[in-house]
This record gives sequence, structure tokens and C-alpha cells, in this order.
Amino acid sequence: MALLEVENVSIGYNTKKGYLKAVEGVSFTLEEGASLGFVGESGCGKTTIGMALMGLLPPNGSVREGRILFEGKNTLTMSDEEIRKIRWRKMAMIFQAAMNALNPVQRVGSQIAEAILVHDLSIGKEEAMGQVEALFDLVGIPRDRLRDYPHQYSGGMKQRAVIAMALACHPKLIIADEPTTALDVIVQAQILGEIKDLQKEFNLSIIFISHDISIVADMCKVIGVMYAGQLVEFGPREKVFESPAHPYTKALLSSFPTVTGEKSDLIPIPGETPNLVIPPSGCRFCDRCSGPGSSCKIETPDWVEIGPGHKTLCCRC
Amino acid sequence: MGNESVLEIKDVSKIYKTKGAFFGSKGKDVTALNRISFDIFKGEIFGLVGESGSGKTTAGRLIVSLEEANSGKIFLDGSEIIGLRGRKRKEFRRKVQMIFQDPYQSLNPQRSIYDTVSEPLKIHGMGNASTRKDLARETLQSVGLSPPDDFLFRYPHRLSGGQRQRVAIARAMILNPTFVIADEPTSMLDASISAQIFNILLDMRNRLGVTQMFITHSLAAARYLCDRVAVIYQGNLMEVGPAEEVISNPKHPYTQALLDAVPKFGHDRDARRYGSLLTKDRDVEEDAGCAFFPRCAVAHEDRCGRKQPGLAQLGDGHLVACFRLEAMHEA
Repeated sequence: MALLEVENVSIGYNTKKGYLKAVEGVSFTLEEGASLGFVGESGCGKTTIGMALMGLLPPNGSVREGRILFEGKNTLTMSDEEIRKIRWRKMAMIFQAAMNALNPVQRVGSQIAEAILVHDLSIGKEEAMGQVEALFDLVGIPRDRLRDYPHQYSGGMKQRAVIAMALACHPKLIIADEPTTALDVIVQAQILGEIKDLQKEFNLSIIFISHDISIVADMCKVIGVMYAGQLVEFGPREKVFESPAHPYTKALLSSFPTVTGEKSDLIPIPGETPNLVIPPSGCRFCDRCSGPGSSCKIETPDWVEIGPGHKTLCCRC
Repeated sequence: MGNESVLEIKDVSKIYKTKGAFFGSKGKDVTALNRISFDIFKGEIFGLVGESGSGKTTAGRLIVSLEEANSGKIFLDGSEIIGLRGRKRKEFRRKVQMIFQDPYQSLNPQRSIYDTVSEPLKIHGMGNASTRKDLARETLQSVGLSPPDDFLFRYPHRLSGGQRQRVAIARAMILNPTFVIADEPTSMLDASISAQIFNILLDMRNRLGVTQMFITHSLAAARYLCDRVAVIYQGNLMEVGPAEEVISNPKHPYTQALLDAVPKFGHDRDARRYGSLLTKDRDVEEDAGCAFFPRCAVAHEDRCGRKQPGLAQLGDGHLVACFRLEAMHEA
């Protein structure tokens, strides 16, 4: 049994402008110890998926359709009580701009201890602090910084503190949503390396969400490319990056400059992302596609198997 | 592209004095720029690459005169810009423009796009209401906001980040400046939108010959856009040279560390690793040595810990501030 099975999940938000179809018909599975990366630009729905997995959608958001099976049980039909037993203990999240999510008026060590105490009622404050010390060792924060406030930490240290908090209850699955976006490239490399080490040490499953294709490729063995709320390509990283099938994946790859290899023209993707309150009929990428087929605007595309474990949502492929 | 300098920065320093936490206590001085010197040639796109705290944004702000240097000289087209007043200052403002990082903050939300883009014309007393509208339309068209009439009377909140950044570029370009500084113009934008902006900047250089300075933390972006790059670390220039050369053959340990840190995928996975970064910083008593000394894996304890090296020629316009290389070069 896979650790996580997401079946045909659709998620939307009630907004002033109407019902926004943020995620449409997304399905994927994740085994224990495996790493899966979601890559896409702003508004593609990748963060929404992460929040839905954690049961943390805002009040105006809801999963309209589908099932999220964690360890075989559908989290969407669970009671709040049951979800709380999973959240943070079995599944934890490193949020976007997490370093800004640390409470500025509480000492860092104490915030992490609080996360432990809330989820484990059997231990006391001292034992929790002991666990925090061990966590600090794990993520590489010197123990003498336990009693500091967040503003006394550098960006990299804050991110490590947030990772420590996510690991506090020894979860099986970590969802990391743009965990290194605000960090400099050298600190980012260190943090990504540390996440990889932690993953190996604890056999963690990781879902890594990023707009940066190179980070996702570096961190994850399987990649899902998202566009306008849909999964448009899914497969092993080598296949997705070296032989991309979907026109959006190809376009996305050509819009990132690189430091090595041939210096080729950056080909921007013309136009803008579609309105998800009234999504276009047929393929959502059609208007920006470099080579649309005759039926792309009318027919909704279906999954096409490109190779073992590699599929794409495209009429023409 | 000739070798005529548009901008010359000579020995420029900028020091910020910080107040202490309590009344009466003295704060520390922060040296944002430490006696830096470089030239930017006519028609080139010059990249200034550095991480946060490197001083790259400060350098940009000094050049556009948003702040003044504490020491050193800055020359634009041969004339000193520090201390310009009156008519000469206004002329300077026409020639030198800046595009800022955050398109959500650099446009006045209470002004229409037309007002924002035509404001520079009004300030410099150029044209009348009708010619200003025409020029605004033309400029919006040239940055890809087409048809321009669709955008003229919108307010910023109705534009996406990429569109707002194009408006910022239009505003910078409407006076036909000779020198434009773009400070991280795409770090808040998605990759495909960033690519659009990069191509606009390239077009400005190719079609209009606008000399540019591109401030960025991304070596990849610098490689794509720039003719030459300078790598800056804690207020000091570490390496300067042709972009392709510096990025494919970095000589300074810090530049090498930056390249090692870039996530690699596909065929890049086997790319060369320089290993110039220490896993744990050295404990350094004084601030006297090379800025990178505490983290440098190939540093020479004696030389590197005592003095900050200056930029030395390696040949072919490639300069490095590193004692190790000086020694090798002399040998």
C-alpha cells in the first residue's frame, strides 16, 4: 500500500469573483521514503494541493471531488479529531516563507517545544525541551541559540528552525512548500543538502513544491508539472526533464537560464495564465501553446502514456 | 560596441552608521561598499552579481544618486555625478533611470498607467497632453503592452506582476535614457514572465543601444543577459570579466562557491565541482583580511587573513581579487 494516494482531487475557492477552480482532477501516489516534486508557476495549484493534504485549506476553500488516502484512510471523511492525530505527527508541512511564520515574541526553542507538547500530551516541558535540543543538533543550529528570538536568527537559521519544527513529531511525510525561496543560493544549497540527508536518515517521504525547476529536479526522483490547476505531465525526473512531452513542460524548461551547457535563447511563454473562475474549454494551455491541434480547444485532453511511469495530459502527444 | 566608458566608479565606499540599541550606546558601522572601482562601457549590459548584503543594491542606488557615497568618485559620460545640482542634476535624471525589484511597490497604486508613464515627461516639461499620450502609447507598445489603449487608463491593481514590471520599464524608457539600472527586475516574477522581461532588456540594448547595469543574485540570469559581470561579496569586488568566461571559468573561490551552489539537473549533474567553501567557517579575530577568508577552503592563512586583495588582471579583461591567483600569475 502506498503511503499516500490522491485520487481525482478537485479543489476550489469561493471568491468574490466566483468559484475559483484551483485544482482539477489531480491524481498521484507516493510510496514511503519516496520524493515527489510539484513544479509550476504562480497560481498553478501546487500550494493548494499541499494545504489540502494537510487539511489546512482556508475557510473559503474545499475539496469538491476525489479522495486523499493517507495510509489507506480517506482524510477527507475524517473528523477534526482524527485529522489532528495525523497532522504534524504523521504529516508535517514547511510552509512558504515559513521563516516569517515564526512567532516574533516567543523564543524559538520554546515555539518548537510547544509544537511537541500540543501533539504529545504524555510528556512534560523538560522532556520536550530535550527533544528540541536533539532536533537543533539534527538541523545544525547551535544549542546555545535555543533561547534566542527569531529576529536574532539569520534567514538560513530561521529556515532550519522551521524544518526542526516540521520534524518535531517524527512524521512520515513532509510537504515542503518553497522552503528555500527567500534564501541566498549558498545557504539554499546547504539547506537542500540537509533536507536530503534527513530524508535518507529517517526514510521520510517528501513532497517538494517549487516554481524552480532545477531545485525540484535536484531533490526529487518523480516530478509532476502543474499548469492552471491541472497536472499536465508526471514521471521520473530524467524523463520529464530530458524528454518532456507536454508543450508547457517544454516551454517551462526553455524559460529558465542555466549556468552550464549551451547558451540558448530563452523562449518566454506568450500570454498569461487563464482565468480559473471561468477556465477555458478544452485544453487549458491551448491559448499559449506553440503548436495546438485542431481539437485542442474543444476536447478536454486525456492522459497519454509516454513510457513506464511517464504520462502527459495532451491531445496531440 | 566601443570601449568608451559610460560609467566610471572609482574607489567608492559607502558606510552606514547604525545607532546602538540603547540611548547613548554606539552602534556598529556597516561598510556596504569598500572602495570599489569598475567601468561600464557604452552599449553593454553589465551584471553585478551578489547575494544579500553584498552591496549590489547600494551600488545601484549610489549610481542613480538616490544616496551619496562617503568617498570616491562616480563619473557619467566623463562628468562627476556626486554633488550635481540644478540643471545639471535634471539632465542627469533624464539620462539615468532605474527599474526596481518589486513591481507591486514601485508603481503608485493611485495613479493610472498613463499618469505613471507620462510623469517623467511632465517633470522635464516635455511635450503637451496630446504628444505625451502618443509617446506613452508608443512606449507601452515597445514593452509589449499591446494594444496600449487597453492599458493606458488602468490602475496597477488590474495588472499582473509581469505587466507592472513592463510599465516600470516603460516609465524608465520614456525619456530615452542612455543608462538604465535594473535592480533584480525579475526576482518576484515567474520564470516564463522573467524570460519576457529579459528579452525586453536585450531588445533595449540591441535596438536602442541603451547601456545597462543588471543587478542580480542569479548567475544564470547574468550569463544570459550580460556581456560582462562583476561578482561582489560583502562590499568588495571579487571577480570581473566577460560573463561567459567568469561563469564557465571562475577564478575566485567565492564565484566558484556560487557556481557549486546552483542546483543542477540533467546533464549538469556531472558538472565540475570546485569545493572552495569550508564546511565550517574559520574563527577570525580581525576584519583585516580578505572578506571571503573565513569561508575559503583554499585560503593561505598568512596572506589572506591579513589584507583584502585588490582586483588584479588575469588577461583578456578578466580580473580577480585573490592573493592565490596573484602568486600563480607572477610565478
